[in-house]
Order: sequence, then structure tokens, then C-alpha cells
Amino acid sequence: MFCYMLDQLVRKLQSILRTELSTEIQRCRAMPPHIRHNGVKAAPFNRAVGQKTGVSVIRFNLNGRWIEDNKIDPNCTILKYLRTTMMQPDAKEGCAAGDCGACTLMLGEMTERGIEYRTLNACIALMANAHERYLLTPSGIGRAGQLHPAQQAMVDCHGSQCGFCTPGFVMSLANLYQQAGLHAQQSALTDEQIHAALSGNLCRCTGYRPIIEAAHKMAELPVCDVRDISARSGVQTFNPQAENVSPTSPQALQEVDGRRLFMPLTEEQLKALLREYPEACLWAGGTDIGLEITQRFKQFDTIICLNRITTLAQTQEQGGQLWLGAGVTYSQAEHQLADLFPSFAQLLHRIGSRQIRNMGTLGGNIANASPIGDTPPAFLALNATLEIDGNHGRRDVAIDDFYLGYKQTVLQPGEYLRAIRIKTLQSSESLTLHKISKRYDDDISAVMFALYLDVQNGIIEQARLACGGVAATPLRALKTEQALIGQPFSENTFLQAANSIGQDYQPLSDVRASKEYRLQVTRNLLLKSYLELTAGQAGDAA
Amino acid sequence: MSHVSSKVTPWEARRQRPAKGKSGSKLAHESAEKHVLGTATYIDDMPESAGTLFAAVGKSTIAHGKILSLDLTAVRNAPGVVDVITLDDIPGEKDIGPVFKGDPIFADGVVEFHGQALFAVVAESFEQAKRAVLLAQVRYEEQPALLTIKEALQQNAFVRPAHSMQKGNARMAVQNAPIQMSGELYVKGQEHFYLEGQISYALPAEDGGIKLYCSSQHPSEVQKLVAEVLDVPINHVQVEVRRMGGGFGGKETQAAQWGCIASVFAQRLNRPVKMRLDRQDDMVLTGKRHDFYNRYHLGIDENGKILGADIELAGFCGYSPDLSDAIVDRAMFHVDNAYDLNNARVIGHRCKTNTVSNTAYRGFGGPQGMIFAEAMLDDIARKVGKDPLDVRKINFYRDGGSTHYGQPIEDFYLPELVAQLEHDCDYRARRTAIAEFNRDHRWKKRGLALTPIRFGISFTIQFLNQAGALVHIYTDGSVHLNHGGTEMGQGLFTKVAQVVAHEFDIDIDMVQASATATDKVPNTSPTAASSGSDLNGKAAQNACQILKSRLVQFAQQHFQVNAVDVRFMNNHVVIGANEDSAQWISFADFVTLAYQNRVSLSTTGYYATPKIHYNRDTANGRPFFYYAFGACCAEVEIDTLTGEYKVLRADILHDVGRSLNPAIDIGQIEGAFIQGMGWLTTEELLWDDKGRLQSNSAATYKIPTSVDIPEHFTVQLFDRANAEDTIYNSKAVGEPPFMHGIAVWCALRDAVASVADYKISPPLDTPATPERVLNAVMFCQQEIRP
Repeated sequence: MFCYMLDQLVRKLQSILRTELSTEIQRCRAMPPHIRHNGVKAAPFNRAVGQKTGVSVIRFNLNGRWIEDNKIDPNCTILKYLRTTMMQPDAKEGCAAGDCGACTLMLGEMTERGIEYRTLNACIALMANAHERYLLTPSGIGRAGQLHPAQQAMVDCHGSQCGFCTPGFVMSLANLYQQAGLHAQQSALTDEQIHAALSGNLCRCTGYRPIIEAAHKMAELPVCDVRDISARSGVQTFNPQAENVSPTSPQALQEVDGRRLFMPLTEEQLKALLREYPEACLWAGGTDIGLEITQRFKQFDTIICLNRITTLAQTQEQGGQLWLGAGVTYSQAEHQLADLFPSFAQLLHRIGSRQIRNMGTLGGNIANASPIGDTPPAFLALNATLEIDGNHGRRDVAIDDFYLGYKQTVLQPGEYLRAIRIKTLQSSESLTLHKISKRYDDDISAVMFALYLDVQNGIIEQARLACGGVAATPLRALKTEQALIGQPFSENTFLQAANSIGQDYQPLSDVRASKEYRLQVTRNLLLKSYLELTAGQAGDAA
Repeated sequence: MSHVSSKVTPWEARRQRPAKGKSGSKLAHESAEKHVLGTATYIDDMPESAGTLFAAVGKSTIAHGKILSLDLTAVRNAPGVVDVITLDDIPGEKDIGPVFKGDPIFADGVVEFHGQALFAVVAESFEQAKRAVLLAQVRYEEQPALLTIKEALQQNAFVRPAHSMQKGNARMAVQNAPIQMSGELYVKGQEHFYLEGQISYALPAEDGGIKLYCSSQHPSEVQKLVAEVLDVPINHVQVEVRRMGGGFGGKETQAAQWGCIASVFAQRLNRPVKMRLDRQDDMVLTGKRHDFYNRYHLGIDENGKILGADIELAGFCGYSPDLSDAIVDRAMFHVDNAYDLNNARVIGHRCKTNTVSNTAYRGFGGPQGMIFAEAMLDDIARKVGKDPLDVRKINFYRDGGSTHYGQPIEDFYLPELVAQLEHDCDYRARRTAIAEFNRDHRWKKRGLALTPIRFGISFTIQFLNQAGALVHIYTDGSVHLNHGGTEMGQGLFTKVAQVVAHEFDIDIDMVQASATATDKVPNTSPTAASSGSDLNGKAAQNACQILKSRLVQFAQQHFQVNAVDVRFMNNHVVIGANEDSAQWISFADFVTLAYQNRVSLSTTGYYATPKIHYNRDTANGRPFFYYAFGACCAEVEIDTLTGEYKVLRADILHDVGRSLNPAIDIGQIEGAFIQGMGWLTTEELLWDDKGRLQSNSAATYKIPTSVDIPEHFTVQLFDRANAEDTIYNSKAVGEPPFMHGIAVWCALRDAVASVADYKISPPLDTPATPERVLNAVMFCQQEIRP
């Protein structure tokens, strides 16, 4: 038996050497001359962002190798670049829309705590997102005979059948492994953690049960830290603060065939760019606009990425008010709203998938002005104030006044959404949110229901009800609100108020639901909200 | 001795233990390690040859009408475009209908569905091709479009004539029954949503031929159609499939069109051409599971026993026959599921509509028939006020009976299986607990259902029930295996390799399964109808047996022993009768010896399923070699304010005979159940009134995610050898467990029925989205309102 194992080991080692060698040779042959990687002597890295020095170049670390390329089209996605230019097809395209997760990769960023990773959908993420970051792919985190624990567990638990979605699952699991600290110490994962990590990965073959088993199992395997892989050929530290940030119009990070992409680091730079390119495409998370490129095959001439502007990604709580930068991602907001707005944080768990929540931003969700965005109804119910900045100076707009019509807002060319301000809730106040969709995770709302109430001494002093999916924009239900305000906080009040819903909303039928259902369920959600708010008090609320 | 691969474990080490990975062991999928590394190569992952071009099709923007003009000037002039073809540019056959004609490769003067391919483009890049096709100027004379089954029935629009099956006198039996009842159910179709979309990669070959890599479940059919389209003999075309990223029936016939288009370009231009459908094109351009509109008239007695059934099924076939004749037949074959209808008349209509041509999908019509049986049984239970499981039990077939198509009932041990599951999952106690829960909760209701499966195994087209295999043994003892089946994730290559390992009693790592290729095993059947391992396993076994008999014969002569004294054991061949003096020769040394003594170490194997026959004219015979059984008990909780629900628990007991690989079989059962559940819950196909598919992306069509699976989910195998002589007495597993999803639908309906105290059977068409569940709840609320 021992002989056999030893023999197996030798065979595995040999096969590793062979695989490594042959892929390396293949890659060197395949690589176009403008791409440099660390096999070739790389020039000292010049900061391309925010400086007028050097050429426009994307520089990223792929599975431990630094790569520079100055010929990447700004519209090129990470997935396309890896599969075509790099000829590395381990990440798969299942939908090219961020819905299936077959292309899931880990994107690492150097922080004070070392490299921290998150998953993203490579199919709709621009190559600029990988700039100065660390990408990990399935063939990078493991090798034949030396699999990452997520991979080994998937094999042991029969977690793959056709195998096409598998690389994406592996990356979601490996990221969970890293985030949950399993690389440092074995510990158990909860089903909830696992489902959250896998919410953006579709499998049509297995029925998920063995994959969930694999997630539990990977925690029991010998530890592995993928940071060692990313750091294999050195870690580069990029510190924007330490650099001389030019307030004037920065140089493009990418410029190919007259198409360019800018990645400003400050709002000053952003404003300068907006003066020069008022019609530029503003790219925050890109989880919706990315589909313009991958589904409608559009090419943007000028893209301004917002996600490296640190001031837009901040959150502050002060004087009973929460200030949320427009660039805060859903994943960040899940943490930041957990204490102050637990129902909101719960809702965020159901927006898109983990990958999408890692990319998409609150500001993007609001400014996108889709009638079916999940957060605008909540912000309407909370009476949020929006901070707008840009070429015409800074101004505050009540979210009630923000939406003008289908996909239309008060934002002018040259303006951007800077932040969202909401008041924290007092003990008499509540926020109840319901998302109705065909599927629980990673679906778009048929109805998004948001109800703010201020109940004092058994009387509803203030009510704001806003819904998505019931009109051309996210919309308040003013008549229903009036039917609630001043009334006793009772089941009857809510039943009566529900009769006004039909006056407030005239929804449409579409692929997600019929207009009749949308109205009926909105009425019923009013009662359901009451039952939930009184759960534990009124006996049978369940 | 020459160099031995380091991958080969020394033979001495293999002698001391039984061979590994033989049939019956829980071996991992042969590509599992490559799957997790992302290095398993799908067609789009293959290195592209220099000069590769990318194809895309231009689609119609109406559902039905004449094409008055097709101006492709702007398309031809678009950046990157190299060539454009229309129907006139097809050198040979223009119709690629698989069984019946009616599927022109591009619309032939008349558009038959919204999105139908009108022409195709090749360009230097995929994106350029996709942009170019949008530039076509097309003028149409629009005609009224048939978009629903009911419209087609009214206008007698059918792609094939209706067919009927009869047993006894259904009309009389219904009329004379103590209780008569009627009902109907609309069952929607399903998008396959294989994760790897349709793809073909064509390389020009000798003499105007083509080497085609195609993600297809039926390479031989693709080969034949490509040859016909190119006007070359079949032997000029080779089709190869190493693996698919899922198939589920969607790549049985509908992979061919893209392979044909790529091949036409490749032949015209003498350049490699890749044709890949992106997700939206895939969803718009390829057929799905058929919707069915089903109606019944039943006659029952006071106990709920069915005395007669008059049943009409109508399938939503789309614009052309494709495989719809056989699919509607299979729905008819399974409308009894496990129940004796006593007197039955079953009619099946094949409705023609101006929609994409619907096609094979796991179960092949069976699920749409079987769910109707379960709907009927639930309706009966409400009518007579009994627990639905009890009504099911009294209606079960018994050995000695026969079906409405004349197949005798034998080896019908399903009642035993159901009884075991009923006991194991604590059905009765949970029924009581649920009644209590429902009394105590105003807005949340729970439902429970235990439903059986009896699914017929064999292609109902008899000639398809054959398979071939090719086995070579090399002088190092490694074995090359090829067979006609394709690998789409179901583990077929693993299972058949296990058969070979089993036959020679050698370790599985000595058996290399290779890409399905039309030049290795010809004239193959599609990998479909759950038949993959039944047919190809037997064919491979046959090849092994031929080789073994040659080897034994050689050993007899060479070692002067009797045939019984030559045994294949522990990776060795053991020669001699006496245990102590027997000579152990490693498999490698033995085959080398045979080779040196001029014994052929290569052969084909062949298998044809015995016993089956069916006369479609009389609708009578034995279309199925045997039946696979199973049962599922599902428990759900619904919210009666929103219609939202959660599947709390599912327990499955399933019959795979003697399992070839329990790990793979359980994987098939679990995956099929979730896919079946998705079909009946969250997955909703929707066309608008112009015939445009609205559910055309992953954003608008929702297959289950990990959180949708039951919190408590068990699958057990019912271990009993198949009485028929199948490969090691196993049973087919691909399709049957799909129908366990029906238990979820029945449980949802049970929960809704609780709102009316189980007095009525609520209408609940599928998929049972929250919207439909809420509507059914409101129906019950209105019915009980005083």
C-alpha cells in the first residue's frame, strides 16, 4: 500500500512538471510581443494612473506573474482578455452577463492586512478593474496532483458533472475559504455562508448538494493560502496617497484606436475629466452597463471608472445621519448597514449575487434609474438626500425629486452622484422591506416593497411607502401613505390602506409578473409588514 | 523492456489487491480533476488554428410572414466581415430536419418563428460578426402567427397527425362509473440552460470534407447532415465530441444547424470557422421542452379507484416536427405513470405554432405525461376525501396487467419501494404534524406529497436501440476505449471505462476513454433516452468479451491449459488450475506475449436491445425493455400572502438496479430532481404577443440556485438487480429521477388545498411561481367563502 502511495506521489510530481512546462512553453509562444510578463525583464513600473508619465499600460498579476500590456481595448473584459489574448481558457463564458458565475475569478488587492480577495464576474469586468491587482484563476490556485482544498473537496464530493460551471464554483469556494480565514486555521462553515458565497454560481447538473458538501469538506483539508501564489514573483505596493496626484486632467490608463479609459483617483480629477468629456460613460460597478458591451456589442469611446476614487467609497455616521459614498459596493454596505438598518442589510443579501455585490455600487443602483433597482425604494422610504457634484457645482437633491421618468434622472451631463444621506432610525421608527421574485437569490424584483413607519403611542405619525416594479420609476404610494398616517397601528388600518394601492400604482405585465399579481402582492405586503412588525406581540403573526 | 510511462503503476504493486475502479465502485468522474482546474477542454477552449473566422446568424424580427427582400449590402460591408451566406449558398440539401423534413437551414422564403435564422456571416472576430448581422435590411409581408396550443387546436394546425392508444372501452367505463370528473392542466416547457452554449468548430479537410468539433449528443446525425448540406459522401465528414458542458436533450438534434453553417463556410473559404451561440442567441434560436395542454375525463368508484380514463394531450411543437412525434408519444406512454387506468383512451396532438421548434429534453415528453397522472390522482383524492398516497396505492398496477399500449406488467415492485419510502420518511407522522401546523398558522401553510415514478427505458424508435464500441489493448497493458455515447457530464465515459476495467479485472487508470468520433464508431444513436450506459456499456462489454475469448484461446494453446484455468484477476492473468502453482502474469506481459504470438488486440463490440417491439399502427407492443422506478416525498411551506415558498424537505428512494457507480448515480438523481423542481417552480418560459421570447437570458429565466435546494435532502438507492439482462443488471438513470420534481409541485398543491381544508383540488398550472401559488390560494379562499 505504501509503495503504491509513493508511486502515486512520484507520478503526480512528474505530471505536474510536465504540465507546467508545456503550458509555459505554449504561453511564451502565444504571447503577442507587446505583452511583458515576469519571465521577461520588466521595466520599473510607472504609475499610469493620475500621472502624465509613461505610456498607458495595464499592469496586473495573474496567478503570481506580473503582466503588462499597453494594447488592451478599454472595452475589453477580463474574461475576453484571458481567453483570447492570454489563451488561458480556464474561466468559462456561460452567459456573458454576470448571471451564471462560470467566469468567476478572485481579484486581490494589497491592503495593510496583506492581499485581500473578492470574487467578480470576469465576463462583465473591464481589464481596468484588474490594474495593479492580483487575479487568481482555477488553474492558478491548484495543479494536477496538488489541488487547492476547494478543488480537492469538489473532486472528493463528486461536485462536478459536466464541469463547465465548475471553475467558477471553485473560485467562489476558494474565495470563501480565504475570507473565512480557513487558510490560517481550520474551522467550520455555516450553510448560510456557503449559500451566500455560491449565490452567483449556477449549476445545471448536480443539484448543488455535493457542492455544498464540498464547501464543508474543504474546511477539513490541510490549509492553503493563495496569497503565496499571488506573491510568487513579488508583491508590488501601489500607494496612491504617496504619489503626486495631478489635479489636472489625468492621462488615460488605456488608449487604443481612439478609445480611452480613465481611472481617476480623486474627485478633482473626475471633475476635470468630466469637463473634458461630459458625455463619457461613467463606470461604477459596471454590473448593468457592462452588458452593453457583452450583450449589445457596443464599444464606448470614453470610459471613466469611478471605483478607485477613495472619497466615493467612504461611509460616515454622524449626528443621527449616515453618509454613504456613491461608490460603496453592496458587499461593503451589507456590513455597514447591518447595525443601523438591519432590514436593509438583509435585503442587500438578496441583491444580485456575491460577485455582483462585490462590483455593484449603491450609487450605481440609484443613478441607473431602473424601475426595478432594489435599493431606490428603500432610499425613497427613508427620504434620502442625494449629493450631486460635477461641472455645475455641488447640490443636494431629495430622492423624491431625483427620478424624472423611465431611466431618466436630474443628473446633467458632467455631473455625478457623490453620496446618499439617510437619517438613522429612532426607536419609534421602522423600515420594512420585501423583495418579491420568482427565485430567492440572484433575481430581479417583480415587486420591491419598502415601508417606513413612525409609530408613537399606537398612532402612525409618519408613513412612507415606495415600491419598485410598479411604475416607470421607483415610486412612492402617496395615497396609501395618507391612508396610514394618523390612523391607529392596527391590522384594520393596514387592510383599509391596502385598498388605496390601486390608486397609487398601475403596474405593467412583463416577464417577471403580471400587473394583477404586482398589485395584489403589494396590497398583501402591507398586511405582511404589519404582521411582521407585531410578530411576538399579536400571537399568530407567522 | 522499453520505457514504461511513469503514469503506469508497477504491475507487481497491482497484484496484491483487487483491481481498482471496477463497476460498482464510487469512482470520481474521469475528468473531475480537470474540471476543478478549468483544464478540461470544451470546444471554445481549443487552441484556434491560424485564420479562424467566427460565424453569427441574422435573425428574423417577425414570427410569421413572407420575406419580400433581404438586403445584405451593409452586412457585407461591415468591419471584419469576410463572407455572408443565405439559403442559396448551401451546396447540397437545404433542409436539416432530423426525422421529418421542415427545418430549412435558413428561413426558406417564409419566416416561421421570431428569431429564425435568415442568413449567416463570418468575420475576423466574434464581436464583428455579431455587430454585422444587425445591419441587414429585411422587408416582410407579415402574416398572423399561431402562438398558443389552444389557437393551434382551434385551427387544426399540427406538425404531425394525432395518434391514439386504447385499452378497453374508456368512454363506456367513464359513463358507467359511480363518479365522473374532468380536469385540465397546462404544463409549460423548459429551457435546457446547459452552461456551455451550442458550439461547432469546423476545419477544412481532404476532398472538400470537414473535420467538425461539435458540442452534440448525436455526432452521427450531425455528420450525416453536414455531408448532405455540403453534398459530399458521409465518409468525407468526421465529427468529434470529447465532452459537452451539459446537454439534457438540447444538443440531440439542435446542435446540427450550427455545425452545418460552420462547415459550409469552412468549405467555401477553406478556413477554420467557429460558430458559437451566445446565451441569448442560444435561448432564442434553439428549441425547448414542449409545453403541454392536458385534459381528462375520469370515471372512478367511491374509493377513488380509476375505472376509465379519457385523456387528451396536446404538445407545443413549434414550427416543425423535429422529434415531436416521438416526444408526444412518450407523453402518451407515461400518462398512466404507475397506475392502472383499466379502460383508457389516450390521444396526443402535435400542435404547430409559430415558435422555435421544440425538441428533446430529459424525459422526452414523459414528465409532461407523468405530472398529469399525478394531477389526476390528487384530484381524485380531494374528490373522495382521502389521503392522496392512499388513492395512489389502490390504483397501482399489479403484475399480470397491461398498459394502454399493450405492454405486460412484470417485475412491478414499485409498491414495495413506495412502502419503504413511506416508512423511512415518516410520511404518516408528518402528515399529522402538518395538519397541526396548518391549524396553528394563519398565513403559512405546509404541504406534503409522496409521488412514484415508473419510466420506460428504450428508444421508442426501435432501430435506435443499438450501439457500437471499439477497444484496443496496447502492449503496455493500457486500453483504449471508444464507443458511440457522448459525455455531457453524466459520467458515461467513467461508467463504460469501469465496465472495461471490470471485464479485464484491471485498474481503471489503465483504461483511457477517448472522444466520441464518427470515424471510430460509425452510425451511432444519440446519447439520449437514458440509454447511454445500457447500450454502450453492453457494446463495450461485448468488445471485451471478444478480446478475452481470443486471449483465453491463445493461453490455452500457449500454456496447454483448459479455458477455465485462465483467469483475469488483480491486473494479472492467472494460468493454471492449482492455486499454489498457478502462474501470475501481469496483464501487460500477457498481452505483449499475445501480440508477439500474433493475436489481434483490437476489436469492435456491438449491442442491440432484445425483446422490444412496437407496432405504432395498432399502438400495441412492448416499446420498453424495462421500467425504472423511484419515489420522492417532498414537504413545502407556502406564504399565503405572497405565494412565496420554500421546499423544506425531500427524500428520494430510487431504483438503478445494481448501480454501475453509486456516486455518479446519486449525482444524477440529485441533479435531475433539482432540474425537475426548477421546471415546475421558478423556470418560466414566456413569449410576448408578437411571438418574441421574453425569457431570453439568465436574467429573465431562473434555474434553481444553491439556496433553493431542500434544507433536508436525502437520496437512497433501492438496491435490487434488474431482472432483465442489462449491463451488470443495472438500470438507466439519466431521465427517470427528473420526475421526482413532481413531488414538489404536488406538495405545493397540497399546501394550497389546505386553505380550503382539502375539499377542493386547486388549479395550479406550471411552473408554480409565487404568482401562480398566490392565485391558487385566492381561488381556494373564494371557494370556501360563505
